[in-house]
Parts: sequence; structure tokens; C-alpha cells
Amino acid sequence: MKKSVQIAFFLLPAVVLVGIFVYYFAGWSAWASMMKWEGLSGFGDFVGLQNYIHLFTDDFVFRKGLTNTLILSGAFILVTLPLGLLNAILIDLGLKGKKAFRLIFLLPLSFSFVVSATMWVWMFAPKTGTINTILRGIGLGALTQPWLTSSSQSLLGLVIIYVWQFSGFATLVYFAGISSVRTELLEAAEVDGATTFQKYLRVVIPLQKIPTFTVLFLLLMYALRVFDLVWLTTGGGPGYSSELLATYMWRVAFNRNQFADGAAIGFVMFVLSALIVIPFVAKMRGDSR
Amino acid sequence: MKSKNLLLLLVFTLSIAILVPSAVVSAADDDKLVVYHWWTAGGEKEAIDAVFDLYNTVYPDIEIAENPVSGGGGGIMRSKIKTMIMAGNAPDTFQITYGSGMLESWVSVLQPIDDIWDELPVPEKIKEMGTIDGHQYGIPLNIMRNNCLWYNKDLVEELGIEIPLTSWDELYAACKKAKEAGYIPYAVGAGSGQEFWLASQIFQSFVLSAPHGGPAYLEKLYNGQANPSEDKAIREALGAIKHMIGEGYINSDYAALTWDKAADLLVSDKAVFYQMGDWAKGHLTAVGWKSGVDFNYQPSPGTEGVFSLHLDCFVFPQGAPHPTSAKKWLHLLRTAEAETVFCPIKGATPPRLDAFTDMYDVISQDILKDFRDPETTIVESAFAGPPEAWLDVFGRMFSSFFENPDVDQGVKNFANAYKSLNW
Repeated sequence: MKKSVQIAFFLLPAVVLVGIFVYYFAGWSAWASMMKWEGLSGFGDFVGLQNYIHLFTDDFVFRKGLTNTLILSGAFILVTLPLGLLNAILIDLGLKGKKAFRLIFLLPLSFSFVVSATMWVWMFAPKTGTINTILRGIGLGALTQPWLTSSSQSLLGLVIIYVWQFSGFATLVYFAGISSVRTELLEAAEVDGATTFQKYLRVVIPLQKIPTFTVLFLLLMYALRVFDLVWLTTGGGPGYSSELLATYMWRVAFNRNQFADGAAIGFVMFVLSALIVIPFVAKMRGDSR
Repeated sequence: MKSKNLLLLLVFTLSIAILVPSAVVSAADDDKLVVYHWWTAGGEKEAIDAVFDLYNTVYPDIEIAENPVSGGGGGIMRSKIKTMIMAGNAPDTFQITYGSGMLESWVSVLQPIDDIWDELPVPEKIKEMGTIDGHQYGIPLNIMRNNCLWYNKDLVEELGIEIPLTSWDELYAACKKAKEAGYIPYAVGAGSGQEFWLASQIFQSFVLSAPHGGPAYLEKLYNGQANPSEDKAIREALGAIKHMIGEGYINSDYAALTWDKAADLLVSDKAVFYQMGDWAKGHLTAVGWKSGVDFNYQPSPGTEGVFSLHLDCFVFPQGAPHPTSAKKWLHLLRTAEAETVFCPIKGATPPRLDAFTDMYDVISQDILKDFRDPETTIVESAFAGPPEAWLDVFGRMFSSFFENPDVDQGVKNFANAYKSLNW
């Protein structure tokens, strides 16, 4: 069998599956989002961009969901990236208790979102939750908060959960990045009289462009489409305070039977993701040349 | 090279196998019944299993493919069914909440079952609730009364509260007493934003007892005929909830508790009253409390003579792959025997007026007495009276209101939410 045919055979399952389950359905969603479709009876007339116009102009919950999604993604990234880098440096320094430290940060990564969500709901519970109980126990009862049950804190609570869940991933990627820094460079810095702090600041961190880009890309993708963690902790509430595009898409399509609007929200999410993927792929191609 | 080709063939075959829909592989027949329901909790699971056993006894040759889907008061299962139906893969029958709005939301994918329904001995109002354009679509299996105020008998006695409470003033006075004694007067659980739809049933109990409310107004509200921004009943009901929150009668962690955890506040002697449908009885007895001994219920204050309800039913979807089995299932469900097998285990009550009643506990007997009383006004509840989207839209609205009980803003938000539904 010719090599090209063999390659085609091996590629076929992936191409067919990705073609159907990603591109076909993305296209189908785009089409569905331009139809009139309410209730369970299927497509009505073609309405063009009317559903999108409705979402962007009339639907304040959609706008809130979009804003919340962007705020959550931004805050999450801004905290997780430096935290991951710092953790990786601490591990790299080979301090005492390094293994335990690594385990503490990497463990959340292995938890399923359902487990994490359930655990955080318990921890954040205003009366019986671990966090407020500890605060009360050490005499800081005045600092107890309603956390996820308050509309002013629900988004903050979600950022904390996200950071906890994903900082281990950032640490892992950065640690790999730091480990791959060539020893000659570090030795040269040492010869030049650089302190440990200067070595990291001037040599190691500037070389973390690719890990940073990788973490940024992957975490942004997670943040933009996350559903389960939010659904199981706040459900998008109280009110619409932590509503995200993904939760609102579900709500609109499946709880309210407005499937065309749901498809339109899904397509907006697809476009947002594409806006992140395309520059990333372009950058990676540029770097590999 | 040979082994390489074999490997390629295997990869190719596997990819084809994945892509072939399973429906093509399994041939349709009438020896099977594909059922979806959301009864997975203790008590209710055993109840539906007992009905399956009965079906298997009557039709031993039909294999039941049971698909229980828990969560969201049936919301998760309904979502699953929607995707299945849209994908042309309908089950034979599935559970749905029985009421005019809910059935109207689903009618486009259901088949009428007038021949099976035929003279089902239920109150006229129940028949009317399930009639869409002159046809029947669901066979009800159990009824659920919504306007129930549960109470801890010991605490009520200890506080010297006289039951029944018949007005808001009496409710407020009882709550004041409970609060002063250090108890949570009125337990609420709305589960981390997920279950805020339960607030709809608290609200409706206040609409039913509002000076300008009542069953006729509630019906109008659920039919899309109301004008919430002008109607006094909405303002009054929201005002009552505001009073309950403002006076500290509701537990402050309501948004962190699920409905059953809130019910547990009664069991642990922390709370005195609890507003919830009669499914709460199933939970209270499941945790070891004795019906009528440790706890009891009364109609929500000011709703005596009113029976706010929804029912659980099974329907017959278009495209059901085993229609004969499905019809046999629905025929079985309409019998008093099926209701008798199911309801006592679930802690529910039967819709048929001729269903046996001896096996029910004191609370269910009382609920049944009210249900069968021709003087009782039956009114649909928020769970199935309005369109399906109501629970979600108003769950959000009430979630905001409970946190910030500003009546003017609440009325405005209510009116906007009301307008957003497709009536």
C-alpha cells in the first residue's frame, strides 16, 4: 500500500469525526441561528441576523453574560499566569518540602469539575462552610462573607475556584519551560556574577514566551467555554450576577426552548474562541519557521 | 506489510462502526419499552420500580429499557429528551409535569392519547388542565399539592402557636414568636442558584392569599392574561416576601441550601415552618420523621379551600419506536392499581377519584380529602401551569428579588420577565 494511502487511512477517522462533530455542527449552529425557531417543532422562516441583533440590542442578560465571560476570563488569566510562574520557580529552586508543595498545587488538576464544584459549594457556604467557619474560629467573624450566594461576590468566588483548579496546570507548563532552559545560559549568568533572583529575572523568565503563550491560549479556551463549574456552583446566579455565555446558552435553548437564540449564543462563543485560536496558530507557525 | 494492512483495515472498520447510528443496527420491534423519568431519589425510585414490576407482570414479554435522569426537578431529563426528539430518536414514553402550560410547550412533539384517556375518573379541572386543542396528551400518575406549610410539631407546641394560621398577620405573628425564641421561623432552600425555581412556589402561595390575588388571579397570571406592572396582587405578594426577609424570618443562607437541606432545618429543630409542596413529606419521612407525629402541614396561610397542584404524567411522543408497548404502558398507568402501587411508596397521592385510600398516612389522607372535596378550588401551580420557560425566567427574577427585596424594582423586573415569555 502506498505511503500516501496509508496516511490517508490513518487520518480518515480523525478527519471524519472532527469534520462532523466540530465543523459540521458549528456550521449547522450558524445556520440554525439565522432561523426562526421557538418551541420544539423545528425551524421556521429564515430571519438572517435578526436573532443576533436581538441578542446584542434587546437582551441585557446576553450582554451581561458576555461581559461576565470576559471579566472572568481576564481576571482568571491575570492571576493564574503569575501564580503558575511563581510556583514553578519555587519548585525549581528545590526548596525543602518541594514534593509536598508540588502535590498541593497539582492535585486540583486531577479533580473533575463536578467534584471541585461540590467541594467549593461546601467551603463557601455562608453558615456552615469551611472558610467562614475558620474565620469565625480564629476570631475574624467580621470578615465572613456570603461568597457565592451574593451577587457582588459570586464572580469573585468563581475566579477563586478557577485559579485553584488551573494554577497547577500553569505551574506544570512553566516548570517544563524552566527545566528546558539550557544550563550553559545559567552558568554564563553565574560567571557574570548574577544572583539567583537576577538569573530568574533576566534569563529564565524572558525565555518563558512559549509556555506563557501555551498557558494563555489553553486557559482562555477553558474560561470562554466553561459550563460545569459555574452551573454546579452558582448556576449563573444570584440573579444574573455570574451568568456566562455558556450557562445562558443552555438556559435559553433548553430551559426556554428558544433554540435559535441558543444557537446564536453558541456561535458567538465559537467566534470568540476563533479569535483566540487564529492568532495563536499564526504565532506558532511563525515561531516554527 | 500484511499486518500493516490488517491494522489499517481495523482502523477503517472502527471508524465506520463509530459513525453508523446505533438505530440502524438495532431493528425496531414491539418487545421493548424505552422509558425516561427523573425519579431517582429514595422512595420515588422504589415507587416507579414497583410500577415497572407491575408492567412486567402483565406484559412479561416486553423488556423495559429504563432511563432515569436525575437533577433539576426533571429539567435535566427534559433537556435530554428535547435533543433526542430533535435528533429523531424519541423514546417510547417519558415523564413530564402535567399542566396546561407545560403540555402546551411540548404538544408539537406528542401524539394525542384520547382513546387511552377515555373517561378517566379525575376531577374536571384535571381533565381541563391536560386538554390541548381538544385532545389529551398525558396520563397522570400522582398529584402534588403546592400550597402546604409544614411545621415542626414540637416547636409549634413549645411556642404556643395555634394552628392553622389563616392569614398573613397570623403567619407574621407566629414567625415573630419563633424568631424571638431563637428559631428560624420560615425555612427556605434555593440551592446555589440552581433551584431558585422553587421560589416560584413560595411566591404563588402569597399570590393565592393576597388581598387582590386568589386562584382566579393566579390562573390569569399563568395564562398570560395578567398585567403584572399594574396588578395589585403582584405588589402585595412581593411585599409579603419582602416583609418575611426584612424581619429576618427567612434563613439568611437560603441560597446555599437545597430544598431538602432546608427541610432538614425542621428535622433538626432549628426551623419552625417550611413552605413546600407535598413532596416534602416524602423527604421528611425518609429521614425518619413520623407523619402527623413529628411534623404536620396546613394549607399555606390564607389558602384554605384552595388546592394548588401539578401532577406527574407520562406522554406518548411522535416517533416512539415501540408504539404498542408505549400504549400498553399508558393503559396500565391509568388504572387505580398502578396509582396504588406507586403513590404510597412515593409518599404522593393518586389523581383517580376511585383510587384506594386505605394505605395512605394521615397527611396524605387529609390531602386526598381536600382534593376530592367538590368545594375545593383546584388551581394549577407554577411547575406546569405557565409555559415551561416560567421556572427558569422567574427563578432568576426571584433570585434577584430575594437578595434585594425592593418591591418597586421587583414589580418592574416581574413585568419584564412576564413579557419575555412567549404566551
